[in-house]
Amino acid sequence: MKRKINRSLWGNVIVIAVLTIVAIFMALPLVYSIMNAFKPLDELFLFPPRLFVRRPTLKNFTDLFYLMSTSFVPFSRYLFNSIFISFLSTLGHVMIASMAAYPLAKHKFPGSKFLFNLVVFSLMFSGYVTNIPRFIIMAKLRLLDTYFSLILPYIGATLGLFLMKQFMEQIPDSYIESARIDGANEFKIWWHVVMPNVKPAWLTLILFAFRDTWNDTYTPALYLHNEAMKPFSLALTYIQQGGFVRAGAAAAAAVLMMLPSLIIFILTQSNVVETMKSAGIKE
Amino acid sequence: MKNKKKLKTLAQRQARIGRLFVYPWLVGFLIFFAWPFIQSLIFSFSQLDVSPEGYKLIFVGFRNFIKALREDPNFIRYLFTEIGNIFVNIPLIIMFSLFIAILLNQKFKGRTIVRAIFFLPVVVMSGALLYVLESNSLEQFNIGAQSGMALSNSPFLRGIDFRLFLVRIMGNIPFLMPIINAIDRIYEIIWKSGVQILIFLAGLQSIPPSLYEVAHVEGATSWEIFWKITLPMISPIILVNVIYTVIDSFTDYSNDVLRYILEVAFRQLNHGYSAAIAWLYFLIIGVVLLVIIWVISKRVFYMNE
Repeated sequence: MKRKINRSLWGNVIVIAVLTIVAIFMALPLVYSIMNAFKPLDELFLFPPRLFVRRPTLKNFTDLFYLMSTSFVPFSRYLFNSIFISFLSTLGHVMIASMAAYPLAKHKFPGSKFLFNLVVFSLMFSGYVTNIPRFIIMAKLRLLDTYFSLILPYIGATLGLFLMKQFMEQIPDSYIESARIDGANEFKIWWHVVMPNVKPAWLTLILFAFRDTWNDTYTPALYLHNEAMKPFSLALTYIQQGGFVRAGAAAAAAVLMMLPSLIIFILTQSNVVETMKSAGIKE
Repeated sequence: MKNKKKLKTLAQRQARIGRLFVYPWLVGFLIFFAWPFIQSLIFSFSQLDVSPEGYKLIFVGFRNFIKALREDPNFIRYLFTEIGNIFVNIPLIIMFSLFIAILLNQKFKGRTIVRAIFFLPVVVMSGALLYVLESNSLEQFNIGAQSGMALSNSPFLRGIDFRLFLVRIMGNIPFLMPIINAIDRIYEIIWKSGVQILIFLAGLQSIPPSLYEVAHVEGATSWEIFWKITLPMISPIILVNVIYTVIDSFTDYSNDVLRYILEVAFRQLNHGYSAAIAWLYFLIIGVVLLVIIWVISKRVFYMNE
């Protein structure tokens, strides 16, 4: 973006002031939970709670590692389950949703409008409500207690489709037409023209999808009963349910749990900024 | 036969390929979303009895729906509170997140850091983590999962009674109350805007830079550029965000109606009635959303048109 900066000094001051205030609001809970991980037990239960830790300790982490080493299922297994499930669900969701979004945005075949309305309406219907019927279907398909009970629903998930379709609609038709004249087939157009142009959108979508699958405790608890299949997020709630004694370990585990989302965030967001420089044809 | 195939118009061929792209998603959607959907519709017209052998459906017609609208003291009340909330929150969330996204899209020193601070909480904390944060203190015994917003459960934030403080400094003047209520919502608004800011940001970055270059060459001021380029170009994303916001707040776990639906299903084990109120709720959101989409989409600008 080649924009000349012609803002006044005061403009800058105001921008930074507003952003700082809001940023503080946003960051508070995060800072609080990180601080918690380093608080000794007595400070954790202090009332009224204090934001900053006074006597930082690593005992919570050593407690956590002790717990990990004594647990029935090795912790590396929980971790593997989580990574496997989140990776495949995110990949499946992003790929299949963007594939379906392309014709919905750019082809307008008969029934495409109806399909899209279906997407919007299904978004409104909270997943919690259809839990029982969905459980019955999982049982009938013999998917219970498999990773696929968590991964496969993402193939039909609608949030990504909705987002991608809206973004793809903004791509000028001329890009696609010129690619078609140059002899590209539909798949090539999708992969080489459409997708690069909506890179900010799918990077954002990866972030959302990963966050949701990584932190999800509700669906795994519903569909997985075999301890060795369960993801890390569930293990975290088990530690949490250990009560007072485990509060420190739970706070430490919560911080560990944030790390993967953090990495994905850094990877995707650093890419988002640069995207528009390279993409885009001048008309 | 072969000739006929070739004679198909471009539009028809495109339509065929288009469907090909949609099928993988459609299969998943039909199995995991559409089918449960229909099942729950069937539930809503029945009484569901669970026994060790399985479940049995007894058709009861509209009885569940009539009960929700006529007899149930809670449903209607919860519903109107939620709808009232959403109409206050939408404009605030949209304006706020657009404002912040535009600021974050500016060039200034330390932009990456500010962005990171903004999104990290939204990205990093959800699900299991929020649960830990909420209950990680003595407070877990007196929260009782009553509070509307997940975060206000965080003990640190509950200590601040912002509203009372505002009333004290501004005085209890009636016409100031809406302002005080709005300020009271600030935290809720900020917290709920995270995703919307990200979506807006992605939208702002999808605007072709050439448009801005042209505008600069023509000598447009920043103010004009915002109204003539940024706003029209971002308007489809505004629609996206409005829809997202409505859906997000209507399907949020802390939502009163949803909690009530789940309570009826899993505490009172009245699955049929629960499905019926879920469908009523769904239809009402549908109407609200349609009205909103209809009003906004008339003003949305698409570059191709």
